Amino acid sequence: MKPCFSVILLFGTTLFLLFQGCTARRTDSASIRVRWAHDPETIDPLQLTNQMALDAASLLHLSLMQIDLSTGEFAAALVEGPPTTRLLGDSLMQLSYRLRPGAQWDGGLPVLASDVAFTLRLMFCPGLPNETPRLRFNFIRRLIPDPADPRHFKLECRGQSPEYVQASGDFFILSEAALDPQHSLRRFSLADLQARPVSATPDTALEAVGRRYRNMPPDQLPGCGPYRLAAWEKDRYLTFRRKPRWWADRLRAAPFVLRARPVQLDFLIIPDATTASLALQRGELDVFPQVPAREFARLRTLPAAKAALAFYSRASYDVVTVAFNTRRPALADALTRRALSRCFDAAGLLQATQLGEGQRSVGIISPTDRRYYNDSLAPVPFDPAGAAALLHQAGWQRAADQSRGWFRPGPHGEREALQLRVRYRANESMFATIALQFQAAAAGLGIAVALQPTESGVLSETLRQGDFDLCIRTLKGNPFMFNFMPLLHSHAVGAGNITGFGTPASDRLLEAMEAANLPVHKAVLLRRFQAMMQTEAPMIPLFFLPTRIAADRRLRGLHVSGLKPGYTAAGIERLPTASVP
Amino acid sequence: MATLTRLWLRWPRGLALGWLAVVVLVAALAPYLPLPYAPAVPDLACVAQPPLGPGAHWLGTNPQGQDVLSNLVFGARTAVVLTVPAAVLAALLGAVLGGAAGFWGNAGRVPAAGGLLAGGAAWWALGGPAAGWALAVAAVGAVGCVAAARGHVRGLPTWPVPLDAVVVSTAAAVDTVPRLVLVVALAAVAQVSLPGLLLVLVLTSWPHPARLVRAQMLQVRALPFVEAARAAGLPAGRVWLRHALPHAVQPLRTALPLSIAGLLALESTLSFLGIGLPPDTASWGRLLASAREAPSAWWVFLFPGACLALTVLSLSALASQNHAPTRKA
Amino acid sequence: MAARLLIWRVVRTALAVLVLASGLFLLSRADTDTALRLALPNAPDYGGRASASLAQEAAAQTALRQRLGLHLPLFYIGRGVGPASHAVRWQWHGTANQYHLWAGRLLHGDLGTSFRTGAAVAPRLRAALAITLPLTGTAAVLAVVLAFALAQRLAARPRWHAAVRAALAAVQAMPLFMVSLLLLLVFANPEVLAWFPAYGLAQLTATGAAAVGQYLARLVLPIAALTLTALPELTLQLEAALARELRTDYATTARAKGLAESAIIRHHALRNALLPTLTQLVELLPALVAGAVVVEVVFALPGTGRLLAEASAARDYPVLLGGVLLVGAVRSFALLLADLLYFWADPRIRWQP
Repeated sequence: MKPCFSVILLFGTTLFLLFQGCTARRTDSASIRVRWAHDPETIDPLQLTNQMALDAASLLHLSLMQIDLSTGEFAAALVEGPPTTRLLGDSLMQLSYRLRPGAQWDGGLPVLASDVAFTLRLMFCPGLPNETPRLRFNFIRRLIPDPADPRHFKLECRGQSPEYVQASGDFFILSEAALDPQHSLRRFSLADLQARPVSATPDTALEAVGRRYRNMPPDQLPGCGPYRLAAWEKDRYLTFRRKPRWWADRLRAAPFVLRARPVQLDFLIIPDATTASLALQRGELDVFPQVPAREFARLRTLPAAKAALAFYSRASYDVVTVAFNTRRPALADALTRRALSRCFDAAGLLQATQLGEGQRSVGIISPTDRRYYNDSLAPVPFDPAGAAALLHQAGWQRAADQSRGWFRPGPHGEREALQLRVRYRANESMFATIALQFQAAAAGLGIAVALQPTESGVLSETLRQGDFDLCIRTLKGNPFMFNFMPLLHSHAVGAGNITGFGTPASDRLLEAMEAANLPVHKAVLLRRFQAMMQTEAPMIPLFFLPTRIAADRRLRGLHVSGLKPGYTAAGIERLPTASVP
Repeated sequence: MATLTRLWLRWPRGLALGWLAVVVLVAALAPYLPLPYAPAVPDLACVAQPPLGPGAHWLGTNPQGQDVLSNLVFGARTAVVLTVPAAVLAALLGAVLGGAAGFWGNAGRVPAAGGLLAGGAAWWALGGPAAGWALAVAAVGAVGCVAAARGHVRGLPTWPVPLDAVVVSTAAAVDTVPRLVLVVALAAVAQVSLPGLLLVLVLTSWPHPARLVRAQMLQVRALPFVEAARAAGLPAGRVWLRHALPHAVQPLRTALPLSIAGLLALESTLSFLGIGLPPDTASWGRLLASAREAPSAWWVFLFPGACLALTVLSLSALASQNHAPTRKA
Repeated sequence: MAARLLIWRVVRTALAVLVLASGLFLLSRADTDTALRLALPNAPDYGGRASASLAQEAAAQTALRQRLGLHLPLFYIGRGVGPASHAVRWQWHGTANQYHLWAGRLLHGDLGTSFRTGAAVAPRLRAALAITLPLTGTAAVLAVVLAFALAQRLAARPRWHAAVRAALAAVQAMPLFMVSLLLLLVFANPEVLAWFPAYGLAQLTATGAAAVGQYLARLVLPIAALTLTALPELTLQLEAALARELRTDYATTARAKGLAESAIIRHHALRNALLPTLTQLVELLPALVAGAVVVEVVFALPGTGRLLAEASAARDYPVLLGGVLLVGAVRSFALLLADLLYFWADPRIRWQP
């Protein structure tokens, strides 16, 4: 047989690549490489649609107050300290801020109250993609500057809710000199822009500002943060480089939120978790946040990975819940809902899906929050016999015929049947496991359950329309906001309140919780709220999810915490290999 | 020597028939077999367990805790009831449409009255202006159709029907429209039942067989025997069905078994999009897809993959024409 | 005469593409509610920050609708409640409708801007194509070359032909993600064999020849995955057709003349057995442009498959329509090419308009 040229070529190429592969070791890169699951799409501070965009924007820009991951509280960033509050009458509140004297833009111009005012006006400027800030910051009525001090200003808020204090400092400040040098936006007051109808005649000045903003490339939008965007290849990577002379470097006692150690940060976009895990093991990646449960456990057992990587796991504020549609006649009474809540084996599901990490809870407030968690209540056990007893108590009777289903007489004399449809987002295996377990437990009791995994776009529509009986979903939370009105108030039915739940007593409690500002008072109300939720059971908490991060052993300063994103990118530093134990 | 040759020819076919018989038998007897676990119930204590581990999971469990063995058994049922019929029906539909498109091309004609009838009825149904006149036009068209069918009046105008262009464009459109748009269009239907899913699978997979049959038909219709049949005075439909089509479906002998794997993958894609089989119905495709979360669980790949490969091979062996091997010179 | 027929076919194909795109445009605009809701992040999905009341959300959606131009009527005519009578009837909307604006921009080559980011669609598609085309193109060429070689060897019925056919059917039975993950976990895994990089194209730090080497090394595994999945059907179809041709009279004559089996296959039977394979070859062309989502996700390559899948999930209709238009155009012209190739492969086929 003639030796084929192609075979020789193939053989030679294999040898060459093999040689290349053998020489690949853990690369000692100067930059910190973090994995992101998908592209942030846009890092426009007015249009942050996902967590990654928020992370990127917080490297480039600063807000008045920022979350400090090491303590878990809001800390002063651009301002000197937390605002002083003054209540005016019974409907207005003034928050007084003072910007740090050293805060500067890149060209040397100081950050002043006029920049804050400009940013607020930009949020309501027509023609810009600012629909989200419009919703969030509608409560700010106006900014009152101080003629004596250009850094001191007061924000006047419509309403006296304590969460406005934190929300008022939570937006990125943009530079007026760079985006509106002619100060053309100063002609319009904030209230005018907020009240401007959508169909008003376009104003040339507003259009000019809008056009200038929209056409500015993302890496040229000036920010007062520590990094600048050096490169952004869509869907491949983003590179941030530390500014050599940043104003906060000159502060004598820089707070945690104003420290930035890495010289270069690379965010690599790797959609598949298996690929990312392999990259981590090969040293092509330094930080892998949100590792899936099984992969995390497997990496911990591999000797090579154990030696080279450090593994962190903290309780997060995301809770897996099951929501009942209380508008359905079968689920309208609390006894039936409590009975069904005993058909979920939450402890077993926690073990099966999260491999034992994560926590059970009695309500949608995290157990790590010791001030507000109601530890006198017990989590609902997995108790099918108890469920049957509660169903009998609610008036359900088991039919004697072939189907052995549950029936009860309805209010108008008709016969109600207990048949349930469970909706959840398709393509999520955790929700599928929960649903299948519930279906098996309910089948043991004789309740017919139909499972409907739904695609996420269609799901949001069906939930809004109330086209479900049970819905399994993850609620994302944080430790600052205890305003559950969008979730459970009767006014929010049709918007955020998919359960349709709302009694006068619960509405009053939610309103009281929103208005409470003393921690002691809040704690009392929240305990009462959790007890009420367990009695009424419009939604059942199953468990709180953990945050898992796997990182290179030589990295320090990650400050892993349960708050999003789970680590502080700007605080990471890489120790030289020799000093790692 | 001849006996050995005959045995050699019978042996793969025998194995193939045997395997398919096992699959059909298992599918039929699935509810009565003494399996320790039901297919859809997750065993939360033994998730992603290797085979022969504790808990009587003989072939292990998948990352959701479902028993692999019972999923294989009940998945055989889904394969026999859904996947194989879907493949056969898609091949049939493709053969009919592709064969017709290839045979008649763009040269078919229908009486113009049919067009009037269809147009008028559509206008009236959609509620356009002057609907009454539309109804009158439709009536005239109906009369003309009847007259043409009975043959009373000759020389009525006919319109050309570009069958080839229509079939090819429809096939291209079905292939190009993204699956998610299909989901959105089907989202109005709350729960897709088994016959509905069969329909969705068939309607999504007919273009490939149609194109293969059309290409072969273009060649077959130019062959002498077709010309002879036409010259003998046989009606065109009969020539197409009895003479040309059996030769034009040759490529489907290879394509049909191979399409089963594609249909299983399509089934699991549809269930990812939310319109597939309900999650408590076992299927080999779903079992294979669940291996994605735990790539190191080789038993979740191996067993359903082996069953699927054996089924594909058996069908290929039965479908291909085995003849005496030619001698190598 | 043939040129006139060809031009007529080309014109008809272009019209078919436009009709398809228009149909998809109208279909997609029926779902704007979901698109708007997905473009506005709401509290349960994002941060848990205070969400708005129903009225504020409705106002935000109206503002977004206005900004994206979705407030205009959809088509030239539409059903609506008439001003005078209260019955539902058809209305003429004039040229101030979404379809007219879209078609006008399309004819100038402007594919619009994305709903989610506001960036232009055409440069995005072009960047994704620059990643996908080398990948799928190489895989297609490799698959075709290997399929031809393997099918010709198999048609001569060597001793190992049953084993190879079984192996090919087994590979066909494996889903694409399984093939990709297997390749990844065997050839890019430091626990097994770390021959190739794990993910593609994230950063190319080297320059010159080393950069080319890095680029090629990163593409080997994805190309192997795509080739392996495209190979079985091509090979088996061609082999079955060749086996059929080898039983004909002219093949017997050639054998009687003393030709070797491989020569008969290559010089006589191949051209006649090509027809189903030609169909499959031109079906590969739209797949070249559409990319393969699974391979792109597993190997972290930002190609058109991933772009279109993400646009689908996020209901980013301008991007989706741009992609579908591209794939549809390529598919339609591939069909035209297929008809031309049939004519070339078998002169008995009469080419029809």
